[in-house]
Amino acid sequence: MTTPDITLYTGVSKNGVKASIVLEELGIPYKVKHISFKDKEQHEPWYLKINPGGKIPAITDGDFHVFESAAIGIYLCENYDPEGKLLPKDPKLKSQVIQWVMFEASGLGPAQAQAIYFAAYSQEKVPQAIERFVNLTKEYYYVLNNALEGKEYLVGNKFTLADSMCYPWVRSHFIIGIQSIDEYTNLTSWIARIDARPATQKGLNVPIPDKIKEFRENPEKLQEHIKYVQSFIK
Amino acid sequence: MTTPDITLYTAGTPNGVKVSIVLEELGIPYKVKEISFKDEEQKQPWFLKINPNGKIPAITDHSRGDFNVFESGAIMIYLCEHYDPEGKLLPKDPDSRSQVIQWIMFQMGGIGPMQGQAGHFNNYAPEEIPYAIKRYTEETKRLYSVLNNALEGKEYLVDNKFTLADAISFPWVRAHFLTGISSIDEFPNLKTWIERIYARPAVKKGLNVPTPDKVQEFTEHPEKLDEFVKNARGFFKFTSTDKK
Repeated sequence: MTTPDITLYTGVSKNGVKASIVLEELGIPYKVKHISFKDKEQHEPWYLKINPGGKIPAITDGDFHVFESAAIGIYLCENYDPEGKLLPKDPKLKSQVIQWVMFEASGLGPAQAQAIYFAAYSQEKVPQAIERFVNLTKEYYYVLNNALEGKEYLVGNKFTLADSMCYPWVRSHFIIGIQSIDEYTNLTSWIARIDARPATQKGLNVPIPDKIKEFRENPEKLQEHIKYVQSFIK
Repeated sequence: MTTPDITLYTAGTPNGVKVSIVLEELGIPYKVKEISFKDEEQKQPWFLKINPNGKIPAITDHSRGDFNVFESGAIMIYLCEHYDPEGKLLPKDPDSRSQVIQWIMFQMGGIGPMQGQAGHFNNYAPEEIPYAIKRYTEETKRLYSVLNNALEGKEYLVDNKFTLADAISFPWVRAHFLTGISSIDEFPNLKTWIERIYARPAVKKGLNVPTPDKVQEFTEHPEKLDEFVKNARGFFKFTSTDKK
């Protein structure tokens, strides 16, 4: 196993913490470069060399670049997780983890991200879009909730990438007006279980202290944050 | 390597053909079960046991204990890890492998969802919402420009050979005109890349599963496209997110 030389390029976003959570859970040392969305740093030529998609997160490991949060998670596990802690070595379990990683990448993440955009940041209020994406998000919560029936985690009954990719979204449910997830009883206990993981909590506080709990308790703080983001988002 | 015995659950969509293309390219024998959206077969209990997310494609690998795989990206990786010993579509070199997986995720998290929404708001939404149409059409074009730039001076995305990185985005990009992006003339590398991939016999075979390739039919006969959208709009109105 080579020695990691990781820089994490990240910003204030659910996608960013997916990468820092994995780094913390695997105990991999890393430097952080906070990409400023306000200054559109993610579109600068030096950054596009690292991530041609112009988004966060991305990592460099020495000279090697990785973009896309799921690809980063898989890369870190394949290179720096010899015990298969977050990405099991058993082929069936490994595939099942990757199936849920893809579920988040193609389904839950995009749906909730668009719901957040239309509920909070869009320059026009589009009720049909808010309704569409909130309903889509709820459908994905329903699927996850069913998958957790009688289980503590999604795959192999232990915390893996499958859980770490979906968790940042589900814990942020109230931002899109889903005030309570009590009806999804399995999701509620799954969130509480992951909340208790010290490494995950460390990862949530990168690149800045996690604001989700604060926003849930102080809706005015959430509104302040929304106004701030609206000042520079397209 | 065990002898594969695969059932592919699929329909005539860009996501479905991603998998049939891989099966054909790797020469893996497979049975096809066409899932009918009209009859909401993808939401039936028997199918939800295979794919709890209720979508196509999915596969069952009978030679490995009836192992189920859902999500096209996961299926493509699974097939290569078990049935691509030469690393034809998913290289064995760790860095090349990662680069292929990065472009897989670029499609799974970007082109698929954004172009999917462009298609929804351009064709299927009950009301015309210019703000949403603009948002998703522009973002899809931005993603196309990323791909176009990445192909500059290259024939394929990774290691200058056809891999999963190309196979996963190809079905979506070639269907651009079905989702409100009428032309990709501004992306010349994408155009030649599409032609190059379409020339592959295994790709053509995969595109015609489970039904004849509509994209090619609409490319040759644009008048058939309006007919298709008219009929699809009536049917798509009954998906849960459009129910009133």
